Amino acid sequence: MKKINKILIANRGEIAVRIMRTCREMGISTVAVFSDADRTSMHVRYADEAYHIGPSPSSESYLKADKIIEVAKKCNADAIHPGYGFLSENAAFSRKCTENGIIFIGPTPEVIEKMGDKISARLTMIAAGVPVVPGTTESVKTEKEAIDTIMEIGLPVMVKASAGGGGKGMRLITEEKDITSLVRSARSEAKSSFGNDSVYVEKYITSPHHIEFQVLGDQHGNFLHLFERECSVQRRHQKMIEETPSPLMTPELRVKMGEYAVEAARAVNYTGAGTIEFLVDNDLNFYFLEMNTRLQVEHPITERVTGIDLVKQQILIAEGHPLKFSQEQLRQTGHAIECRIYAEDTDNNFMPNPGKIYNITQPLGLGVRTDGYVYEGYEIPIYYDSMISKLIVWAENRTEAIERMKRALYEYKITGVKTTIKFLERIMETPDFRSGNYDTNFIEKNKDSLLAATKCAENCEDMVIIATYIEYLDQLNIAQTSKEMYPAKNRWKKYTYQKNFERL
Amino acid sequence: MSIEIKLDKRIASVEILKQFENLLEIKVDDKIYQVDLMHNDEGIFSILSNGRSFNIELVPQPKPKHYTAYTLYDSYDLEVIDAESRYLRNRTGGAQMLSENSITSPMPGKVVKIPVSVGDEVKKGDTLITISAMKMESEYKSPIDGKIAIIHVSEGSTVDANQVLIEIE
Repeated sequence: MKKINKILIANRGEIAVRIMRTCREMGISTVAVFSDADRTSMHVRYADEAYHIGPSPSSESYLKADKIIEVAKKCNADAIHPGYGFLSENAAFSRKCTENGIIFIGPTPEVIEKMGDKISARLTMIAAGVPVVPGTTESVKTEKEAIDTIMEIGLPVMVKASAGGGGKGMRLITEEKDITSLVRSARSEAKSSFGNDSVYVEKYITSPHHIEFQVLGDQHGNFLHLFERECSVQRRHQKMIEETPSPLMTPELRVKMGEYAVEAARAVNYTGAGTIEFLVDNDLNFYFLEMNTRLQVEHPITERVTGIDLVKQQILIAEGHPLKFSQEQLRQTGHAIECRIYAEDTDNNFMPNPGKIYNITQPLGLGVRTDGYVYEGYEIPIYYDSMISKLIVWAENRTEAIERMKRALYEYKITGVKTTIKFLERIMETPDFRSGNYDTNFIEKNKDSLLAATKCAENCEDMVIIATYIEYLDQLNIAQTSKEMYPAKNRWKKYTYQKNFERL
Repeated sequence: MSIEIKLDKRIASVEILKQFENLLEIKVDDKIYQVDLMHNDEGIFSILSNGRSFNIELVPQPKPKHYTAYTLYDSYDLEVIDAESRYLRNRTGGAQMLSENSITSPMPGKVVKIPVSVGDEVKKGDTLITISAMKMESEYKSPIDGKIAIIHVSEGSTVDANQVLIEIE
């Protein structure tokens, strides 16, 4: 067993800060790495040590495995935590860490490789007896073979690139006449994106629910799950809201899916924290979709209902400790919801809206947690993801959790960039969400009401005009007489004036 | 002294009738409001009008006298039109035309591709420039038929919000 005393976090943004928080609680020193654009980022300020690793684009900084390992060796870090994204599911990086005597906080390179390739993941799951979406078990190499397979499985089907990810090389086929042209375009996109035109075919599950199970495995052959997360509220195949327990879940189904999730982890001898994603149809049939061999963005809701710090578990497992609790001891208490706050213009097709944070007021109060990294005056870089924070609430039951989330979103004020806050608040008010009766088509289905023009409270436009006018007059005053003896025309200003005076 | 303030497409005239410290009697178009207004240097406004509480945050824009206001649910673009800006406006009346003949970036980002060069004939709807921001690429298309007059940026350069990128004639 090797005690970890110093961890390098090979990531940025909220997740880097999130990991460092746990390190601090465990008395582990933290090392941040940063690109040109991130010199002023919160994770650099929070860490005990910070090192520059390259220019702003992630391909020249956060994805530079050798550079990061070099920094880790130079500062004598015992371990590297990859967070999510960037190098977190990169088998070569995991291998290089081990070769250099650094603990990679995550699974072995073999597991990452096996689960990273979609076809080998499917085969592994079939062998372990875990239900998978009906479809091919090996990649389809020719067009004719693809068409024959599709006819065999029956429409509708999804054609996906074997080497794929991020929605590239993916086509939904619903009509027979489109088969040839869509197979062709999927293959050519796969070729141009991944240099490999092999595809595989899966039955398309109409209006599926996206439900995933959190699993943990230690180095001593113990595996358990920490219940489910419902992640069906998505746009552009990206999650926006997650909750646990899932409103669709029954106790029987939870036990069954949980057992399969544990089987899946056992099948690859998984170590650390991982996630088994399932598709669930309205008749509660479930199918293995993929395994994420890293910490998920939405892990806090699981932490909230189980009371277990997942990052701490990752570190303990990496040190070689056996899990300290059993499946029977785990409880799901109350209800937790997470909303992802993106810097995006919801009225403009979710176009990214980077910029400078002028003002930020984060929600507080009972049952609220925010995992963020931006602060006043911080300029969100254009090079990385548009997620600026995650808002997590917990309450005794689902209804109360929704009301609390609405309250927290009301309190959340970010100016300077456009955010998804208003859109998320609308979702909390949508009947389909409130009743828990929703699937992955939720946003598309409720688009009109979610994007309807807001009706401003009576006279609020006029109030905005008044505020602007007063601001303008103030600016004029500043420009004309800056050294007035008693400039305060209102009490807030008087206070500042006094403060400045006291400082003299 | 009455001043005009442009909020999105609406132009309203505003005038302070009475003021006692933070209590104001103020006229917006033909409506008169008695408000209790407090604000700090960071542009956070708390206005009480007729018992209702309004929380408004103003962010000054790079252009002088331009602001973005954030209320509970909305954001508005505002411009103060005083004597000075009215004068400038009249003098550069032609500049209004610019927006139809040019492409400006709606957000900061990085230029990925410019498939056209100066002098090229383009049709309305042709892609003139691709900008990437936060892992997403957006294509900007020509608003008119015409000829590329000036290209202000080059591939790989970073751009600011509202920066003029390409002008067409």
